[in-house]
Amino acid sequence: MANSNLPRRIIKETQRLLSEPAPGISASPSEDNMRYFNVMILGPTQSPYEGGVFKLELFLPEEYPMAAPKVRFLTKIYHPNIDKLGRICLDILKDKWSPALQIRTVLLSIQALLSAPNPDDPLSENIAKHWKSSEAEAVETAKEWTRLYASGA
Amino acid sequence: MRISTVLSIPKGAASILLRYYNWSVSKVHDEWFANEEKVRKAVGFLEKPVIEYPNVKELTCGICFEAYPPDKIHSAACGHSFCNTCWAGYISTAINDGPGCLMLRCPDPSCAAAVGQDMIRELSSNEDYEKYSRYFIRSYVEDNRKTKWCPYPGCDYAVDFVVGSGSYDVTCRCAYSFCWNCTEEAHRPVDCGTVAKWILKNSAESENMNWILANSKPCPKCKRPIEKNQGCMHITCTPPCKFEFCWLCLGAWSDHGERTGGFYACNRYETAKQEGVYDEAEKRREMAKNSLERYTHYYERWATNQSSRAKALVDLQQMQSVHLEKLSDIQCQPESQLKFITEAWLQIVECRRVLKWTYAYGYYLPEYEHAKRQFFEYLQGEAESGLERLHQCAEKELQVYLNAEGQSKDFNGFRTKLAGLTSVTRNYFENLVRALENGLSDVDSHGASSRTASAKSVGGTSSKGKAGRSKPTTSRSSSSNRNIDDTGHWSCEHCTVANVRGLFERKRVSLSQPFASGIVKAKSIVG
Ligand SMILES: [Zn+2]
Ligand SMILES: [Zn+2]
Ligand SMILES: [Zn+2]
Ligand SMILES: [Zn+2]
Ligand SMILES: [Zn+2]
Ligand SMILES: [Zn+2]
Ligand SMILES: [Zn+2]
Repeated sequence: MANSNLPRRIIKETQRLLSEPAPGISASPSEDNMRYFNVMILGPTQSPYEGGVFKLELFLPEEYPMAAPKVRFLTKIYHPNIDKLGRICLDILKDKWSPALQIRTVLLSIQALLSAPNPDDPLSENIAKHWKSSEAEAVETAKEWTRLYASGA
Repeated sequence: MRISTVLSIPKGAASILLRYYNWSVSKVHDEWFANEEKVRKAVGFLEKPVIEYPNVKELTCGICFEAYPPDKIHSAACGHSFCNTCWAGYISTAINDGPGCLMLRCPDPSCAAAVGQDMIRELSSNEDYEKYSRYFIRSYVEDNRKTKWCPYPGCDYAVDFVVGSGSYDVTCRCAYSFCWNCTEEAHRPVDCGTVAKWILKNSAESENMNWILANSKPCPKCKRPIEKNQGCMHITCTPPCKFEFCWLCLGAWSDHGERTGGFYACNRYETAKQEGVYDEAEKRREMAKNSLERYTHYYERWATNQSSRAKALVDLQQMQSVHLEKLSDIQCQPESQLKFITEAWLQIVECRRVLKWTYAYGYYLPEYEHAKRQFFEYLQGEAESGLERLHQCAEKELQVYLNAEGQSKDFNGFRTKLAGLTSVTRNYFENLVRALENGLSDVDSHGASSRTASAKSVGGTSSKGKAGRSKPTTSRSSSSNRNIDDTGHWSCEHCTVANVRGLFERKRVSLSQPFASGIVKAKSIVG
């Protein structure tokens, strides 16, 4: 029903996501709603999230691509720019959104955010503080959480 | 538009530049000529597209991924192609997000090319474009809000000025009023140029004028020195003489104002009629003397109103700090019922200021403008007489109630009188200010022809001016009465008199003009 007047752009993006997925990223539309995507991002190598499999949900609002997609982590993650509800602090999801960006670029940006946490623009004050005061310790916690919650089992 | 012609960039680009530099034309110039490349980068002007249009039949829109013929595709200077529908959606979203749309960039996330106003007009709906224009004008006005330090000695406040308030006069929190444009004290209805000229003149003549500021004059009847210690010009000599006279002209007060039925005339300068034939040297001396006398006349009245205003300010403070409370006790009136007295004094302070500046106005109103001068002197005389009435009532008549032993029966009558005088005087002065700011344009009898004369003089009739100076015409008495000023002269075609140049520039300057022209400019950018 909801998929009957799906814009060409979304169809094309979906086709491309499925046929040429970006490395470490998979995104597939839900069967009953083509605007809802189940996403999985592999923790980047050399990051505290390495070895983890992170589940996200992505939703394309009615105004997409004029408005940004809505994305959130479903897997618990210890990261200064992600809060405990899984919301992500990323400029392109807010004021830096441009309709020329795509689902793929958004997911690649999130993956990059895992490699380069930015405690200076925090979403979780506590985690950011932890990160700034003793990064090594914070990284340890992030690794532990990855083991605990994102082991992909 | 000036900027776009000077920098040879498109008009839409010029408005982006101006917007970026908060509408400061001079800043745009400075920055552009200092480092054009840097400015281009910051603002998003590209010299050449990053993508050249390939010579193909179809282009793919970077937003909807559909292919379109080139005429359905637009791009900013960068060449990134998007279809018209997607542009409309992109622009509309930005406009509805707020004034950030004024600095819109190409949708391509890696691209900083500016989206100009012409593109926005072409690609957005009327409704969106209207909204955009509103932001545009608002930003123009808001960015022209400026802040200046209060020029009053020792005052540390900064004063905000909003373009469009209709006048240059601003008042600091310290209560000092000044002109935004020239930072001299507030000087409506006289324009800044006249004020500057007048202040220069005063400093040049200051030595000659010191005696004017003396606070004592001989009583015209008994010749005893009388000190002026009150604000109004109505002086009563000490007993037993008790002669009532006018401080300004030393004439009997009974000849002044309403009592005589004639109009108040000590504001006008009338030179003594000179008869006889003069040789050249004598005439020069005579003219110089007259010129100084004429200046003295205006200066004395200007300065006296100034000190009268200062006195009124002191009186006002005294009234608020001491007298009102006392009066409220004696007359059994709540202080809230005595507001009319404060209002009267505030009005006096303001009127003294205006009246003071009308004397600078009068000094520079050329002699050849016979009709205007006459009308001006009538208006000024009425203003002066009205203000004297008000000042006297607030100063002297009030004294009776302040000194009364107990409640006065006629206090309510006094209230009605003072409140009435305040409101009448306020109206009169408001109209006076308006009339003078309009250059007394209601007077047209001599106006039309004198305008022609002035146009010629502005067009460079220096030879005429010289002729007027070097060849003082026949010995008509009037010609010897004219002032010699330190500024340029030119001769009136109607009365063969040398006149002061530069008055007409003054007349054309209307105080509301800066605002009006600003808005016109903003509109012309928009539409
Ligand atoms: Zn571009
Ligand atoms: Zn499109
Ligand atoms: Zn101040
Ligand atoms: Zn001024
Ligand atoms: Zn006397
Ligand atoms: Zn007089
Ligand atoms: Zn004339």
